Amino acid sequence: MSDHLKEQQSIPTTKVQRAAKFISTGAKVGGNYVKHYAKKMVNPSMDREELHQNNATDIYNSLSQLKGSALKVAQMMSMDKNLMPRAYQDKFTMAQYSAPPLSYPLVVKTFQKYFDKSPDQIFDTFTKSAVNAASIGQVHKATLGDKSLAVKVQYPGVSDSVSSDLKLVRPFALRILNMNEKELDHYMSEVEEKLLEETDYILEVRRSREISEACSHIPNLSFPTYYDELSAERIITMDWIEGSHLKEWLETKPSQTSRNQIGQALWDFYHHQVHNLKQVHADPHPGNFIIQKNDQLGVIDFGCVKVIPEDFYQGYFALIQKSLLVNATELDQIFFDLEFISDRDTPEEQVYFKAVFTEMISLLGKPFHVDKFDFSDDGFFERIFELGDRVSNDKLFKKSNQARGSRHGLYVNRTYFGLYNLLNQLQAEVITTKPDWLK
Amino acid sequence: MEAMPTKKTVIKDYRKIIIEKYKEHVLEHGHSPASVYKFAKELKMKEEDFYTYFTSFESIKSAIWLDLFHDTLVDIDKQEAFKEYSSREKFLGFMFTWIEVLKKNRSYLLCLYQSRARSLSTLPKESGDFKKAFKDFAKDIVSEGKESTEIAERPYLSDKYDEALWIQVWFVFRYWLEDSSPRFEKTDAAIEKSVNLAFDLMGKSALDSFLDFAKFMYQSK
Repeated sequence: MSDHLKEQQSIPTTKVQRAAKFISTGAKVGGNYVKHYAKKMVNPSMDREELHQNNATDIYNSLSQLKGSALKVAQMMSMDKNLMPRAYQDKFTMAQYSAPPLSYPLVVKTFQKYFDKSPDQIFDTFTKSAVNAASIGQVHKATLGDKSLAVKVQYPGVSDSVSSDLKLVRPFALRILNMNEKELDHYMSEVEEKLLEETDYILEVRRSREISEACSHIPNLSFPTYYDELSAERIITMDWIEGSHLKEWLETKPSQTSRNQIGQALWDFYHHQVHNLKQVHADPHPGNFIIQKNDQLGVIDFGCVKVIPEDFYQGYFALIQKSLLVNATELDQIFFDLEFISDRDTPEEQVYFKAVFTEMISLLGKPFHVDKFDFSDDGFFERIFELGDRVSNDKLFKKSNQARGSRHGLYVNRTYFGLYNLLNQLQAEVITTKPDWLK
Repeated sequence: MEAMPTKKTVIKDYRKIIIEKYKEHVLEHGHSPASVYKFAKELKMKEEDFYTYFTSFESIKSAIWLDLFHDTLVDIDKQEAFKEYSSREKFLGFMFTWIEVLKKNRSYLLCLYQSRARSLSTLPKESGDFKKAFKDFAKDIVSEGKESTEIAERPYLSDKYDEALWIQVWFVFRYWLEDSSPRFEKTDAAIEKSVNLAFDLMGKSALDSFLDFAKFMYQSK
């Protein structure tokens, strides 16, 4: 937790470049139309398919170059449709809104707004510059009495920008995903809701406390204490968790036993949330975990919590049951329930998508089919990516203009993929527990 | 004449009373009083007495601007961390505090300036005194910034920095008048971003190196 943030000294070049990227894409797409009509004058029989393809390629190219920004949302929504494109590896977090660090006067102002006091009046010490970037704000280190505290301050106006950023993404998402507006909204609203929730710090404190209390019995896990009286809509105060981030910790070459212990704690944490609490910390990216002394796993940042509805839960995990993959009629029903296929599909499409999803599920469900799974197996991940790339380049897949997969799947998939990814980084072997009904 | 010993305090009060009554009138009627005569009558004072304190409504408005500025400086003085701030932080601190002070008078300011918010490129005349006082304040910040090399010394241009900061003050004021976000959060963001931009531009940047290089190439030919 030591990377000292440099306060912004220059115009954010990435933003300028980003805007430039947008403009050049617009120009290219315009150019494609010009080309199309020029060709059409010569050859009137030319269809629009080629035009769409040119557009899609140009837009996709520029999107894949854009790092950060709300465009990640578009990629995120393409997850279900493109199964698992490579870009999936990136963290789909609010970090996309990475704003320059808040100046200290603004931090003071934020404190005065909510507490009528400046940070130095509240705490014994308070770092003037941020010690770490949080998803949509920044973290200052403070002390009060004998306690070390982490104080998270949010950038003003973030919640307003969520909606407008999403609007910015819409036309691109429509193009890329080849969906109609109604279907896009189906995902958009889920994403918007979650992003807005992340800006509500009061909700975050409440949920952090709920989940950490409910998970307190799990061995080798630890959670910070949250302080209500020092938290507000834009400020969260919690205990400072001493330790190192995953990457730093791995550089110290921990033993296999240590890595397994952390991995197991991680698995147990998610197991309990998904199957017992039915609400889950849906942001398993390395920055949200801290590894403490004696290989204890500290969990911070509960900004993104997905509540899993019961009927979605039943269908989703029934798919993971090994035996079920044989029973065709039952499988059909679940595919319908989870909106992977619908009665608007042609029989050809139904067969195709069933095959694709069956392959995907049998692959993703692999860790659940054994008692112990070794996540250091890179081959497993290669196969997932390979499947994702293959399918997303398939013509039939590209042509289908329907949203596939329930909106709830968006965050549950992200959670599991993030979890697998973390376990892979840990190179851990984990006892993959599952609820009794799944055995 | 027997009131002589207390006259001093009376004078002070009159100035205050006139300002308060003027604000009240604007708040209740949405505009300045029709004439000084009418306003003086409302105040139960003679018109000529009014002129001892102010010469016109313009001068009252001007005094209000100046008071707001002085209130801000008083507030800043109370903030202990302010003295240790860099120039950029000092200016940010000033803007945040100033907007806080304005907030207490928002209705009054809205009455007078909202309709003109879009066309405020021509600044109201009554802001002249405030401008002068502000520029003195800004000059101090700029010269401090130059000393700490936070702000780059540039021929001709760097003498105009106080003017640039003044334009920024009006930009923020205009933004704030039209801001409808809860707790004026957007104004906070606007201040933060615009001040950062301004100080980035005033600081040493790639442009200086480029000009230096261009000059070198030109001269060495």
